[in-house]
Amino acid sequence: MKPSELTRPELFACQRLRVGIGGRAILPPIELTVKAGEFWAVVGRNGAGKTTWLKTLLGLLPPVSGHVQSARDVRVSYLPQRSGLDDLYPLLAREVVSLGVERGWSFLGVPRARRHEARVEQALAEVGGSSLAEQPFRSLSEGQKQRVLFARLVAGDAEVAILDEPTSAMDRVAEREAFELIRKLQQRHGLAVLVVSHYLSIVREFADRALLLDADSDQVVVGTPEQVFEHPAFRKRYGDFAAEARHG
Amino acid sequence: MVSPNAPPAPSEDLDFDSLLAPSSSPTAPPAPVAAPSASSLVGSPASAAVRAGHEEQPTWRDFVDSWALYRDPVVCGVVAGAVLGMLGVFVVLRRAVFVTAAVSQSAALGVAVAFLLGIHLGFTPPPVLCAFALALAATAVLARRSRSNRLPREAIVGLLYVGASALAVLVGDRIAQEAEDITAILFGTAVLVRPQDLLAVLAVSALVAVALGALYRGLVFAGFDAEGARVQGLPVARIELALWTLVALEVSVTTRAIGALPVFAFSVLPAMAALRVSNRLPYAVLLAGVAGALSGGLGYVSAFMLRFPVGAAEASVAAGLFSLAVVAAQLRRSA
Repeated sequence: MKPSELTRPELFACQRLRVGIGGRAILPPIELTVKAGEFWAVVGRNGAGKTTWLKTLLGLLPPVSGHVQSARDVRVSYLPQRSGLDDLYPLLAREVVSLGVERGWSFLGVPRARRHEARVEQALAEVGGSSLAEQPFRSLSEGQKQRVLFARLVAGDAEVAILDEPTSAMDRVAEREAFELIRKLQQRHGLAVLVVSHYLSIVREFADRALLLDADSDQVVVGTPEQVFEHPAFRKRYGDFAAEARHG
Repeated sequence: MVSPNAPPAPSEDLDFDSLLAPSSSPTAPPAPVAAPSASSLVGSPASAAVRAGHEEQPTWRDFVDSWALYRDPVVCGVVAGAVLGMLGVFVVLRRAVFVTAAVSQSAALGVAVAFLLGIHLGFTPPPVLCAFALALAATAVLARRSRSNRLPREAIVGLLYVGASALAVLVGDRIAQEAEDITAILFGTAVLVRPQDLLAVLAVSALVAVALGALYRGLVFAGFDAEGARVQGLPVARIELALWTLVALEVSVTTRAIGALPVFAFSVLPAMAALRVSNRLPYAVLLAGVAGALSGGLGYVSAFMLRFPVGAAEASVAAGLFSLAVVAAQLRRSA
């Protein structure tokens, strides 16, 4: 750990946190702290409890026991899995970006055609998506949609970006580009990033902290990506893929 | 006796309570001679003329000459169509089309229950209040998240729709002298609108339109990405509650005035048409309002000219506009 990392402000702390559905815990207690500027990767097989943990961290689900402590007034942006967004809504890309600016009751008021125009344009430019501004969001490719959603979190001036499988519908090249963009935004804005991803080599390359969740074997492992990939629980769950993850 | 060619009786001279609203007494006062009979107020706007022996096809001139008589129902249809159309965009986008059908049938049941209570208690509670109470109750049931994995929400919608419709007919059967009025509320066959109902529709519609504008961005974010909105601190549950309260409010007053069938049509078809042709949500909302207003206005005129029941004519015009929207969207795609 670098000395500068010790002084980073803590944004989230999980204290003996047990997560689950309907009051039934699916994972052992989790102890970890997320600091400003950290890049966390959350890994685990399907049904491992990754989304349940993320939603508990965000306050969308109540903890079964233990606590989540968050820094006061921390600005969080959440990009849910693709299925969480409703493509029925006929919104332009810039309208989707402008949603990132809304906080609390700020949505109340007279609708205006180009709300937060400068902020939205700047955010789109930052992710290389200026040309997408006037296009219907639902007609964009998966990579372009993700770019617009990254612009949404930039426009919202987020301190923490939580992304649930943001690259699940992308090919390998588009996925690498997306992660490079996430890292660029993280470094430029000092963002803390938590990403759920199944692509282990990408996790190894980009993340500086990793969390392995496994509801089936009741295991939680926290550490650097290398520490997590060397852990017996990881090797057991990922079999041949564990070697690939360790060596890239 | 009313003739399309004769100057109509001014609407303020009509005894609406004896013509449209049921009375608690089975010996309601007879309709004034100069006004259409009660039965002429249910069916097509031109039916009064037909029943009076004027079998010729009504003309546009007849309609214009009788504007003072038909002004209120036309204004009511236009305003109800416009506001329900705009509200309907959010209902359709939330994949809750039949929720409005169940809520409007519940509102109709509320009106019927008000009449029944009037007979048995000797005091008729305000039908619009009863309609709103039952519409709100239906909305509350539908808004609750089912904890059961065995039945989807659509099943509850179906239960409420069938249950409310059947109960309204059963209640109507117990208040025989009001049976025609119940039919008018269920199927929207009422030709005239009472002044107090028109006032209620105008006031509530204005309130709903303003609230819809104020809540617009919250409704969009909560519908498009509910979890993202919650994480950014938006009160998503309250926004949803506000939407469905607005639906219950608008549906209850408009159901009392123009009937359940056109109310359901206005809250679904104009929105579907607008969403079919527009790639912009703000334009879709405005377009749905225009399509709803056209459905209400043209529907009434076509019912007059072609001697159709009003509610069915209004619903048919709304369906026709949706068909036009589908064709327009296809043509634009192939161009």
